[in-house]
Amino acid sequence: MKLDDTIDSLRQGKHIPEETVYSLCLKSQELLMNEANVTHVDTPVTICGDIHGQLHDLLTLFDKSGGIEKNRYIFLGDFVDRGFYSLESFLLLLCYKLRYPDRITMIRGNHETRQITKVYGFYDEIVRKYGNSNVWRYCCEVFDYLSLGAIINDRIFCVHGGLSPDVTTINQIRSIDRKQEVPHEGAMCDLLWSDPDDVDTWSLSPRGAGFLFGRNEVEQFLHKNKFELIARAHQLVMEGYKEMFDGGLVTVWSAPNYCYRCGNVAAVLRVEDDLDRNYMIFEAVQAQDGVGNAIIPTKKPQMDYFL
Amino acid sequence: MNGSTHDEMRETEPKRVKVYILENNEWKDTGTGFCVGRISSNDQESSKRSDKCSNLAAYLMVNDEEAPDRVLLWSRLEGNIEYQRQEETLIVWKDLTGQDIALSFEESTGCDALCEFIIQVQKSMETYISLVAVRSNDDGMGSVHEIITGPVNLPSNEHQQDEKTLMEALKILNENTAFEYLRNETMEFVLKSDYINTLIAVFEAAEHNHLHRDLLLLSNIIKTLTLYNQRELLEQMVDDEHVLGVVGILEYDTEFPTSKANHREYLQHSGPNFKEVIPLQSEEMKSIIKKTYRLQFLKDVVLVRFLDDHSFNLISDVILDLQTCIIDFVQTDAFLSRLMEIYTGQNKDHEQEKKRDGIRMLHQCVQITKNLEPVEKSKFFKALVRKGLFNVFDFAFNVEKDSSIRILATDMVITIIEHDILLINTVNNELRHQNEVLDEEQQHASQQKTDIVRSSMSSDVSLLLILSKILLTDKSLGLKEQIVQALNTLLHPEGCMGGDSNYDGGNMDIIMNFYGDGKGGDNKISGEISNDNLSFQMAEYFGNFYKEVAPILFEPLLGDSICESNDDILLIYLVKLISFIATEHNRRISREFILEKGILTKMAKLMDPSHIMQLRLTVLRCLKNIICLNDEYYHRYMMSKNLYDPMFHLLRENLNKDNLANSSMLDFFRIISSQCSQTEEMSAHEKNNFMIMNRFLVKKYGYLLQQVDYVPYTKEMIRLSEEHKEAVAAADEDVKMGLADGTQSHIKDGKRTFSEAQESSESTSSGTYSSSSGGASSSGGEESLTFKRAMDKISAVSPPTSIAEDVLRESQNSDNADT
Repeated sequence: MKLDDTIDSLRQGKHIPEETVYSLCLKSQELLMNEANVTHVDTPVTICGDIHGQLHDLLTLFDKSGGIEKNRYIFLGDFVDRGFYSLESFLLLLCYKLRYPDRITMIRGNHETRQITKVYGFYDEIVRKYGNSNVWRYCCEVFDYLSLGAIINDRIFCVHGGLSPDVTTINQIRSIDRKQEVPHEGAMCDLLWSDPDDVDTWSLSPRGAGFLFGRNEVEQFLHKNKFELIARAHQLVMEGYKEMFDGGLVTVWSAPNYCYRCGNVAAVLRVEDDLDRNYMIFEAVQAQDGVGNAIIPTKKPQMDYFL
Repeated sequence: MNGSTHDEMRETEPKRVKVYILENNEWKDTGTGFCVGRISSNDQESSKRSDKCSNLAAYLMVNDEEAPDRVLLWSRLEGNIEYQRQEETLIVWKDLTGQDIALSFEESTGCDALCEFIIQVQKSMETYISLVAVRSNDDGMGSVHEIITGPVNLPSNEHQQDEKTLMEALKILNENTAFEYLRNETMEFVLKSDYINTLIAVFEAAEHNHLHRDLLLLSNIIKTLTLYNQRELLEQMVDDEHVLGVVGILEYDTEFPTSKANHREYLQHSGPNFKEVIPLQSEEMKSIIKKTYRLQFLKDVVLVRFLDDHSFNLISDVILDLQTCIIDFVQTDAFLSRLMEIYTGQNKDHEQEKKRDGIRMLHQCVQITKNLEPVEKSKFFKALVRKGLFNVFDFAFNVEKDSSIRILATDMVITIIEHDILLINTVNNELRHQNEVLDEEQQHASQQKTDIVRSSMSSDVSLLLILSKILLTDKSLGLKEQIVQALNTLLHPEGCMGGDSNYDGGNMDIIMNFYGDGKGGDNKISGEISNDNLSFQMAEYFGNFYKEVAPILFEPLLGDSICESNDDILLIYLVKLISFIATEHNRRISREFILEKGILTKMAKLMDPSHIMQLRLTVLRCLKNIICLNDEYYHRYMMSKNLYDPMFHLLRENLNKDNLANSSMLDFFRIISSQCSQTEEMSAHEKNNFMIMNRFLVKKYGYLLQQVDYVPYTKEMIRLSEEHKEAVAAADEDVKMGLADGTQSHIKDGKRTFSEAQESSESTSSGTYSSSSGGASSSGGEESLTFKRAMDKISAVSPPTSIAEDVLRESQNSDNADT
């Protein structure tokens, strides 16, 4: 009951008390702990890419794709940073997870770390909204418990970034103690940071973390694990999604008009029982007053100032 | 050559030049000569015009170098001719008759001189001509045009305007951003003629008359002006006179034409208020503070969707400058002293709320230093501590019960110690030292005594103690998180040694100040006190931590603890801290504490299913980290106490589940198998900790390991164990027996067992370091005595480069000698 109230408040972008956030985070930890590093998910399911704090576009996403009440979702990470509603977006997904545990799978993105959120907006957002960084700490603790990937019907591998030279089988991912800040190298880092590219073999990534991988790596991985598709996010696609390597890999991007200025559309991928892929495209919400998506984001200082 | 024959006639220095004209699409050389810019009476029109000024005309003139009387070029600067300076030495233009002309100068300075002439003419006489610099791009493809001078379109400055003039203004302002010259000219106009005020006047009328399109245009005009990235203009926009008008205009937004923001209302009424804890006497400072706040409001709220990176950074820079001003003011003015008086004993009548506001304000000060230069930070933080920051902390931690205020105080502590871990202590010592020195000068005390006094002061752990007690007692979870962060920082040895200090000269700067301030008595201490002293201080600092703080901080984890804490969240923090000190601190000191206090045994009990899984896994991770240290003492201890049992209990619970607990155990097996494989490759089985542990685990839990058949690591462990068994069967018979039946009698192969020491300390209930390591545990007592003796010795002589290590080496030696 109380959870439903919180969900309502979050959908309206209202302030959530620190204690509520804390208890949400603690409960989420308990739930997430029981999940595997790579979770198994059944069809039909809707795969969603980066959200980046665009709460109102996230609400559109749910509206247009049927809603959490009747559908299953996998989120490929990057819930926070960049947008003005990182906290609300992340908490809303956590609340849905608590409310409908089997309907939503949350995978960790490269932005779900202490180091990155300190630079790209989530930390500042929390300090602005609460006057201190405690809520940020609670959320970061939850980040550490998020899964690293998911597998749909034993056929589709979902991950935020991409492949790793250290990972050829799923059991190798299983042997990671994932409850930690994302390291700067190694399998866990690569899964969250790598990008597909037109390269012959593993190559250095311009991002400074993870690798670039090409058709060969994708085909080997798919063959070895008897998969048919790698679904990932992590890179802005102006058209919302982009298939590569003869449909062996897809990038799904779910933050329309990214950073409120990129002008891109967003997409989610619905996978049916027969593994048919349907892409749903959607555009950014027009900002309006009165529905929580005000012109002025909640980027206001909350307290009196002396300086 | 051509002397001035007339008052109005002026001429530039002649410069050598070749003259070309374009004929049939080919440049034709018409000769070489000397070029001058000349202003003279207009030979053609002088008769017609009556006013003297328009009689003058400007010319570019070239006389043949061979025959100075022959004029190669006589071209008037007039109309809207655009002169192009191409590269360094060419001036090219098309005159009003359509003739293309080029001057190729021998030297670029010649070209400079004539360009300057064109600029002067443009400014004073022929305002419609222009000069444009053309340079080829760096990549050799295409060219870059940059206006040097020319006519500038400016928006209307009338107070009566309509949609048309506003549209025109917006267009002009947009066009003018393209070139630096036009930008500068436009800005000069905007600032000098108070264009913002014009806009505000137009805005007020438009709003009054509900001219919606005008309002949107005005908003776009203001936004465009912010893109000029002009600091002075930004400051003007937020001063008292303009700010409401400017944010008023920005309430209208073309992107959201149907709605209006309420910035004015927010700034005036509903938003945060400017508060003064101590009345500010400087009006200028008040104005700076308000401007800073408003610029932040502009950046974070009003323009947040609009600013590009460039403008964003500019506003941030302006804010930073203003903040620097504020911080400067706070520490130099008497202001800070007056603020601190609130917390001193003499002023008891100050109400609680004022003290709270004071903390809120100091917290803001400390917050805004985050962007300042390290040197500035140090200066400010030192000023805070000198003026009595400890009184503030004293209030926050000992009097105040409101967690939100404590959180702010802790946040200040964190910011300061993360900047410079020694700062608080050293400045405090400096203060006390000054007093001491005064006394000592009267007493003519010896140098040695100064050293001892100083060192004992600099290892002050009172801050650690305060924080530890709050961690154990305060109920606020946010505060606990913060305290743990502060403790982590304060207890980081590299941070303390200045090793990973993120800027240069931080710690040393303070240390040197401490000795070199010349504030009395310092001249007898040479400037050579340096890193050695720092190492020495640190050794003592950590010594004091383990003696005075650790037993209190880790009380719930002590083997003989009477208080059974069931606060699992607190225990998680403590276990993480144990993991931290075990891996980061000097091994010998932290290990002695951890083992003698029976902490690992106690921790292993926390893996019981009655505790929350987060805690159980935190313990597992801590034990894994300690195992990874590859430390013989730890390994022996864990086997003798069989601390692996709860781990495998956890495995049994989660044997066929794919969850975090299962993964954490798989990770453990991965570590063991890879460590053992490495050892195997180096064929150094016999003495390897991991090999021994592996054999122990396989023997005891092999049946469980066999069931973990979904990863290769467990099979590897079993294989390695078999091979290892064969390899060392003969040599290692006694060890095997000892491990199998759980006694330690056979493990004492020349080395002290910590389990022994631990058992003996269990019998002594007292919690302090020295007493628990005394008594039955003779070797422990010996050690700490040796340690003290070494310290005393060192404090009497000038210290070698790394005291901490030497002390340890020495006591390690004596340890071996003892047994």
